[in-house]
Amino acid sequence: MNAFRRMLRSDSLGLALVVLLGGAALSIARPEFLTAYNIDVILVGFCLTVIYALGQGVIIAIGHMNLALGATGCLVAVSFGGAMQVWGLPVWAAVIFGLLIGMFCGFVNGWLTHKSGLTSFIITLATMSIFKGISLGITEAQPFYGVAESVKAFGSDRWGPLPETLLVALPIVIGLAVFLGRMIPGRQMLAFGGNPSAAELSGISRARMVILAHTLSGLLAAIAGMMSVARLQLASPAIGDEWLIASFAAPVIGGAVLSGGHLSVLGTCLGVLIVSLINQALVMLAVDPFYVQVLLGALILGAVGLNRLRESRMGNAPVLRLS
Amino acid sequence: MSRQVKSGLQVEVRGVSKAFVGVQALDNVNLTVGAGQIHALLGENGAGKSTLIKILTGVHQPDSGKVLLDGREMAFRTPREAIAAGIGVVHQERNLITRFSVAENITLEDPPTRFGLFDEAAAVAATRKWLDLLHLDTDPRTPVSRLSVAQVQLVEIAKALSLESRFLLLDEPTSSLTPHETGTLFAVLRRLAADGVTIVFVSHKLEEVFELCTHVTVLRDGRNACDSRPLAGMTRADVVRLMIGRDERAFAAPAIGTRSGPPALELRGVATGLGHKDITLQAHAGEILGLYGLVGAGRSELARAIIGAVPITAGEVRIDGKPERIRDVADAVRRLGIGYVSEDRKGDGLILAHDVAANIAATVWHRLGKFLGFVSDRMQNTTAAPFLTSLDIRTPSLAQRVGNLSGGNQQKVSVAKWLAAGSKVLIVDEPTVGIDIRSKAYLHDLILKLARDGAAVIVISSDMPELVMLADRIAVMKGFRLVDTFDNAREYTAASQRIMQAIHG
Amino acid sequence: MAALNTVQTPSPRPGERDAASAASRRLSGIFGSNLVGLLIAIAVFVLLFGFFANGFLSKVNLYSISRSIGIDGVIGLAMMTVLVTGGLNLGLGAIGVCSAMGVGWALQSLGLPIAVSMIFGVLLGAALGAVNGLIVVTTRLHSFVVTLATMSIFFGTMILLSGANGFNALPRVLTGFGRIRMYGVVSPLLLIMLLVAALLFYLYRYTALGREMLAAGANPFAAKLSGLPVERLFVCCHALCGGIGAIAGVMASLRNGAIVPSMAGPLGADWLLPAFLAPVLGGTLLTGGGVSVSGAVLGCVFVEIITRGLYMLQIGEFWIQTALGLVLLGAILLERGRAAMALQRSIGR
Ligand SMILES: Nc1ncnc2c1ncn2[C@@H]1O[C@H](COP(=O)(O)OP(=O)(O)O)[C@@H](O)[C@H]1O
Ligand SMILES: [Mg+2]
Repeated sequence: MNAFRRMLRSDSLGLALVVLLGGAALSIARPEFLTAYNIDVILVGFCLTVIYALGQGVIIAIGHMNLALGATGCLVAVSFGGAMQVWGLPVWAAVIFGLLIGMFCGFVNGWLTHKSGLTSFIITLATMSIFKGISLGITEAQPFYGVAESVKAFGSDRWGPLPETLLVALPIVIGLAVFLGRMIPGRQMLAFGGNPSAAELSGISRARMVILAHTLSGLLAAIAGMMSVARLQLASPAIGDEWLIASFAAPVIGGAVLSGGHLSVLGTCLGVLIVSLINQALVMLAVDPFYVQVLLGALILGAVGLNRLRESRMGNAPVLRLS
Repeated sequence: MSRQVKSGLQVEVRGVSKAFVGVQALDNVNLTVGAGQIHALLGENGAGKSTLIKILTGVHQPDSGKVLLDGREMAFRTPREAIAAGIGVVHQERNLITRFSVAENITLEDPPTRFGLFDEAAAVAATRKWLDLLHLDTDPRTPVSRLSVAQVQLVEIAKALSLESRFLLLDEPTSSLTPHETGTLFAVLRRLAADGVTIVFVSHKLEEVFELCTHVTVLRDGRNACDSRPLAGMTRADVVRLMIGRDERAFAAPAIGTRSGPPALELRGVATGLGHKDITLQAHAGEILGLYGLVGAGRSELARAIIGAVPITAGEVRIDGKPERIRDVADAVRRLGIGYVSEDRKGDGLILAHDVAANIAATVWHRLGKFLGFVSDRMQNTTAAPFLTSLDIRTPSLAQRVGNLSGGNQQKVSVAKWLAAGSKVLIVDEPTVGIDIRSKAYLHDLILKLARDGAAVIVISSDMPELVMLADRIAVMKGFRLVDTFDNAREYTAASQRIMQAIHG
Repeated sequence: MAALNTVQTPSPRPGERDAASAASRRLSGIFGSNLVGLLIAIAVFVLLFGFFANGFLSKVNLYSISRSIGIDGVIGLAMMTVLVTGGLNLGLGAIGVCSAMGVGWALQSLGLPIAVSMIFGVLLGAALGAVNGLIVVTTRLHSFVVTLATMSIFFGTMILLSGANGFNALPRVLTGFGRIRMYGVVSPLLLIMLLVAALLFYLYRYTALGREMLAAGANPFAAKLSGLPVERLFVCCHALCGGIGAIAGVMASLRNGAIVPSMAGPLGADWLLPAFLAPVLGGTLLTGGGVSVSGAVLGCVFVEIITRGLYMLQIGEFWIQTALGLVLLGAILLERGRAAMALQRSIGR
């Protein structure tokens, strides 16, 4: 009973309804929507997007932002490709190399943000340009084609009706949900996001939280970057260029508040689904892809507005502050 | 209590000093608290009590001096280290994660786990014990954002108790509690002290201090006015003298109010978007109206409604007898001549990063502007300069950043900008919080002078002696309503009794 | 009254006054040194590149530097006007491109005269900026997420309306203007930038509006309680940003000789780095309420010299992006370090 009521109150129910109704409407308007091919396209897109959306989400959860998310993914992707093509590393070593690079990038963001006390916006703007420049510099803007066959297979193979990439995405989603919902460092991260000074007075270390969140973000960006390589079958330095907007849209649609303290993993997944549904709908209804952009923008505005409203009704928003 | 505390900590503070930009918050302060003692730390607002507590709990580090716990020197660099050393604290400001549940907040320092995962059931069970102890009947799963001010304060106390520490510091823990809730808390504290827990207690309510504490340390202006004396044998007057450095009676000032003609500001049955109901009050030119109430009574919020920052939803506002609609703050300030000296001087009173001249002239730039809104530094300085001398603002120049001035001088700057604007109605919110006594007396003088020069002044203050001294009339607020208004004969005992009667009766 | 009058007026504690004034002297010294530091850095790099990079001091190169300074300078100044509010405008590039496209549409499709088209473009930019400002003020959301969304909306709508087709039949006068060389090295675009800078300098230094914008940005709560129309001022700042962004968009088109939707990259995001580099290097506060017009101009000059110099050294254009990121990082960390040191000394430790 209690659980049911809590579910009703949560952000996710409405979103799930939107996904279901949207899907239903679309399959009535265009019966071919429910073909295996379409569902496959949506699923494959979901697996990638959800990972980098959560990569932004963990940063939003502490009230920061990561502009360098895409650039980190890009740097990891070309390092991953380069490690295989140029150095001839085995796949497992290249993967570890990629993960380490992603975590290092995130660590640098977190450490600089913490040490300087500046907003993460300006720090990650600078590192974005650094990471992106390095990726372009070492590849000279050309992709690495020497991607191992097993990696390519991972990106294209199906496991029954499901894409193999889901085998990576799903554990990450579940793991992160458990981490934020039940594990102590995850709870501490959310506490820190909700009220940094209160968390600090409760013995939660500011440095640790900021660096943890940014490193986690770098790790997720790295996974997304390597998954892109698998999907594209090559390590292109253009990977990550389009991540920024969707990476904010999905968590925010899922109820995340930009001032920090709250991230719904389920909500983010639904947000990703909504974004890919819109994408697919517009493709199927044969409208200009740039409508996606306009819609996505409008969706972000609507979602943050809605979250703000809900916040103030819950009494979380500051009451007395003017302007 | 569940765990037997063997013995409390013995705490010694030796010659601790701490400076912030523009303020010497603590100057060579001493404090000695024996194990199992309930020790009162007293002083006026701004005396440095909270700063001392923050030094003892690792939030701030002293510039010089030592802190000894059980004779061993301690230098906490973070709150984390203090918690680990067995120190529990309720800070003056609320410090809860409003989005988290009561149980999650109370167990934040040391969350119970099962297989490495947060164990909510255990947290709820552990929490319930502490809530029961304080007779707080709230579901531990409720988010803190849904609690009332008093409930939040009790949760904060429960959180500190739950650490089962050997040294407990409470910074104004009773500020929004009812006498009944306070009584429950005191019973718990006494039991803890009997078990050997060392307690430092800060409160502005001297009755509470005499009821609960055995020893007292008084700070004045960042220095020891007395160092760890037994309370037995001291009277209320003794303590007050230590706190303010002179007798309470010296506060008396003659009535100046003359009430002729329509009031400069009149509220008739006003309700606001924040929940005020049926507020009716008048402030006459040349008169000081005092507004008293406990934290959360809605005084500052009412002030914000009067200056148009919060919508007035019902009732009538009259200025000089004429009904007016206050559209927004700019309207209230520029057209109606209402000014507001904010309670939160640094947060929304002043622009700390800008210079003195810009802060004073901010209210009048639009009037100074000549062709195409041209305003030069000279014009701005000409406006601001007279106030440096007339208000005795101690600053090296008009170009000094306000953030670098001392608290008293900052407050004078925030009054000066309303003098520059020529406000006819001035609302002054907690004018002397965090200000040294000499500046304080000067500000009192200034407020009286403003009224005598023909302004209607509304003073909001939680400092009862100050209010009784200043106000010609006193209005008492409780729960966003006006519960009493009376002419003030500047007789402390009578006035304070009437106020307490209005609030608790 | 007697008791009150006998209390002496306060005098500052010994040392307090001296410490405060010393702190202020030091602070102003630091703000001064920001400009001086930039000037020195510029001089050093001009010498270095002049010595090591062949052709760095050639007329062709100086001309192209002056043109880039013109355009990127206006971009940086545009961002500065909104940094004043403590916010930002991610969609500056999108607004610039949209406005330039608007000018092209007015010129080519409507056949309006040049001057009218230009005014139309600037007004369009200001209007788009004002939309940002209005959303920020009414929803009280951070401008980051608002402009992230509108960037996407503006740019997408523009592409849909234009069918992603640019305007390349610009009047001769305009294409010629972009190629004018004064004294062989100065582009008129540089002069436009200096004009915009001068107007902004006048705005912030000598007008009530500018001062009110700075006060509102430095502490909106205090400004509001002082009776300043903070909401309206913020909308003005965003509109100003859009208007100046439009000028930058047109200037970039003049350099290219055509108006193309892709001139600032996808969603106009290519402008982001120059937009932040110049004001941040120049000492504009990201927290709002503090600007330095001359700092932004010098910051831009510094960036263009580095960019161009590295290019001439054949570093490879991709590594230049890395270098600029490092410059930005270095500058903000340096500024931070200096501020922290000044604070610590003023506390007297
Ligand atoms: N973080 C801080 N930064 C600057 N000044 C501070 C800070 N904390 C306290 N102060 C100043 O130190 C003085 C003492 O403040 P506080 O310890 O809070 O007094 P109390 O708790 O006795 O009311 C005041 O003048 C206050 O303005
Ligand atoms: Mg205090």
